[in-house]
Amino acid sequence: MRSFSEYNPIAVAVWFFSVTGVAMFCSYPILMAISLSGAVLFFLIRNGFTHGKTHLFFWLLFAVLALANPLVSHNGKTVLFVMNHNPVTLEAALYGVNSAVMIIGVLYWFRSFTQIMTSEKLLYITGALSPKLSLVLSMALRSVPLFSRQSAKISAAQTAMGLYKDDNIVDDIRGKSRIFSIMVTWALENGIITADSMEARGYGIGRRTQLRRFGFRTGDILLLTATLALLGVTAAAIGTGALSFEFYPSMKIKELTFLGISGIISYAALVLLPVIIETEAELRWKYLRSGI
Amino acid sequence: MEILAVRDMTFTYPTCKEPAIRDISLTLGRGEMAVLCGATGSGKSTLLRLLKRELAPMGDMSGSVAFCGKALGELSDRESASDIGFVMQNPEQQIVTDKVWHELAFGLENLGTPPAQISRRIAEMASYFGIGDWINRDTAVLSGGQKQLLNLASVLVMQPKLLILDEPTAQLDPIAASDFIATLRRISNDLSITILMAEHRLEDVVPLCDRLLVMDGGSLIADGSPSQVIAALGKRGDIMCGMPAASRLYAKLSGSGPCPLTVREGRNFIESSYGNTTRGLPQASPAAESETALEYSEVCFRYDRNGRDVLDGLSLKVSRGEIYCILGGNGSGKTTSLSAAAGLIKPYSGKIKVFGKKLRDYKNRSLYRDCLAMLPQDVQTVFLRSTVREELAECNAELKELPYDLSPLLEKHPYDLSGGQQQLVALAKVLAAHPRLLLLDEPTKGLDGAAKESFTELLKRLKADGLTVVIVTHDVEFAALCADRCAMFFGGRIVSEGAPREFFSENSFYTTAVSRMTRGYYEGAVTVEDAAALCRMNGRKES
Repeated sequence: MRSFSEYNPIAVAVWFFSVTGVAMFCSYPILMAISLSGAVLFFLIRNGFTHGKTHLFFWLLFAVLALANPLVSHNGKTVLFVMNHNPVTLEAALYGVNSAVMIIGVLYWFRSFTQIMTSEKLLYITGALSPKLSLVLSMALRSVPLFSRQSAKISAAQTAMGLYKDDNIVDDIRGKSRIFSIMVTWALENGIITADSMEARGYGIGRRTQLRRFGFRTGDILLLTATLALLGVTAAAIGTGALSFEFYPSMKIKELTFLGISGIISYAALVLLPVIIETEAELRWKYLRSGI
Repeated sequence: MEILAVRDMTFTYPTCKEPAIRDISLTLGRGEMAVLCGATGSGKSTLLRLLKRELAPMGDMSGSVAFCGKALGELSDRESASDIGFVMQNPEQQIVTDKVWHELAFGLENLGTPPAQISRRIAEMASYFGIGDWINRDTAVLSGGQKQLLNLASVLVMQPKLLILDEPTAQLDPIAASDFIATLRRISNDLSITILMAEHRLEDVVPLCDRLLVMDGGSLIADGSPSQVIAALGKRGDIMCGMPAASRLYAKLSGSGPCPLTVREGRNFIESSYGNTTRGLPQASPAAESETALEYSEVCFRYDRNGRDVLDGLSLKVSRGEIYCILGGNGSGKTTSLSAAAGLIKPYSGKIKVFGKKLRDYKNRSLYRDCLAMLPQDVQTVFLRSTVREELAECNAELKELPYDLSPLLEKHPYDLSGGQQQLVALAKVLAAHPRLLLLDEPTKGLDGAAKESFTELLKRLKADGLTVVIVTHDVEFAALCADRCAMFFGGRIVSEGAPREFFSENSFYTTAVSRMTRGYYEGAVTVEDAAALCRMNGRKES
């Protein structure tokens, strides 16, 4: 019984890049609408009604992006009104809204992605490509907090010794630069110990393997196959031009063929996959629990 | 079976004339736990590193080292990496990766072990060490003791036959240190892994080890069971200063019979050899109340708005010219209380007064001029320059004003000094601001016995010059030696307070070894000197 975020990281990453890939390289309004609503729904399912600031920021950005286009671009046939001797057109306005839907949708997806993909999962994915790369990443992830803590400690120690005579900017900058220079020494000095510790444990004597923390289970393979199949249909629909929409000079939608409709349905199914998985898991769990 | 055999080993560093270690011969059998002790600079680390091929320093070496009957140089890379494990002093810097499980896997990954087998060995190791609860954590959030345990586990996961440890407990607090040593004893008993460890804090390890090796000036001067070695070297004060209290008392009184190592043996030794007609030492009269140097009243502080109170109504008074020790467990908020007095953090309620003036009335950092200075726990954080001379020049420290001599160290890089030397240089920098109130955070961490003794003397001299010192420490024995008053910190405030003698006699667990040894037999004996004086006053029993 797994929730979507507990599926194999590779399967999750493939799903994620399929969804955002379509959203980024296509501008068909119906797909964009599906992407944005799916992204918001997914984010809400994961976080509930918290993260108010994120929502506020995204929707403010949405407004700015949607309004910017008609003010800058004056293409299009249908003039709504004239502002500062420049025509504001319906086409440009709708194009702006469409791009905003696309960008905000992708931003929502990325927000959820960073929540799901912990450093550990990223390491698993990079490790599948190269164990060495994954080790370098892991060491980098370790040293960043280590450095910031040490420099905070040094700065506190220097303050408590009263080395900086006054609270002025020049003194402050001089102090910071000295702390930075000693941090370099400190990093090198510690690097030697870390290198010793690595060598003592046999680093560099042969080919590295990597511990696999995540296995491929039936569910992962199903998710992966479903993702690729649905992506295939959508991509075919976009690639053959069955889903195309023109804003300029006037809006023109191509009549939907069977392939076009299947493309839209597939994309909707793709976007809703995690929601389906979560709901299915919850229902099954309810059923199983009733038997306990 | 012989695991390690060293014969006539002499080693000289490339730029030195004198050998760093000379004519060392020793053998270790399977499952033996041997402790190597000696003053800083006696060549312990050099010897240990020479036994691990990957870490061996450059230089001229003569003599031979055999591991399981094979010369060290003939081992394959894999054997050398996995069969000889090495744990270093600093818990933090030995850790390579960001997650606990990844750190455990690191060595096996290097050896190219199949993933399924790695999972299995990690699972075993985590269960054996009880790491299971924190295996998914970031290595950065572990405590010092946990980090060192992780370092040990990630070496043991490679199934070594010989485990070498270079002062593994120097950076740990006393409780974590004794847990770590007990773990070592357990793996030596359970898995018959041979252990060779250098150590200068010997109270916990000497009673548990099978063999004690003593180095002095690069040579091995003693090799035998702990009680034999102590009986033979009892007159050497520089070596005895790190030994268990019972052994030091035995050496001081030139006792006869087997040397006591533990509190229980020490008690038997005292009760069987000395009477107790005189039960207590004459009490010193309490010092007259003088002006207050540092005062906390009802100070509360928390790091997070929704967190718990780290300081919870802390109130205390430190009089001018006294040495005040704050004792307490890990994470009890001791260090936070010092940071509050140094103005590094702002309590949300309560008042702190330094020399009668509120902290926030010290404007423009005047608090740090001729008034208060703090020496942090990690003294390396004090250094910003590349030589000691530049460090001292930066803060206008006068060499002549210092109560100790730093002139031999002037051209060295501060990071190259030993722990004790770093402490002295850092203190010189701090003293250059002519503070009247000195705050010290764990000043004895990482110091060997001799350095600790001289630091105690130094504090007494500073006190005689009129300095007020507030010390936060785990080190009960150190507090008993130097403090005028001790206080126990728990749950964000002070729960008990008193002069060391009454303070430690009233505590029954959190107290010095001598106090536990003489409880009920003598009154108010807390240091080895107290106990020795009482024993001498009572005289040896006729047997």
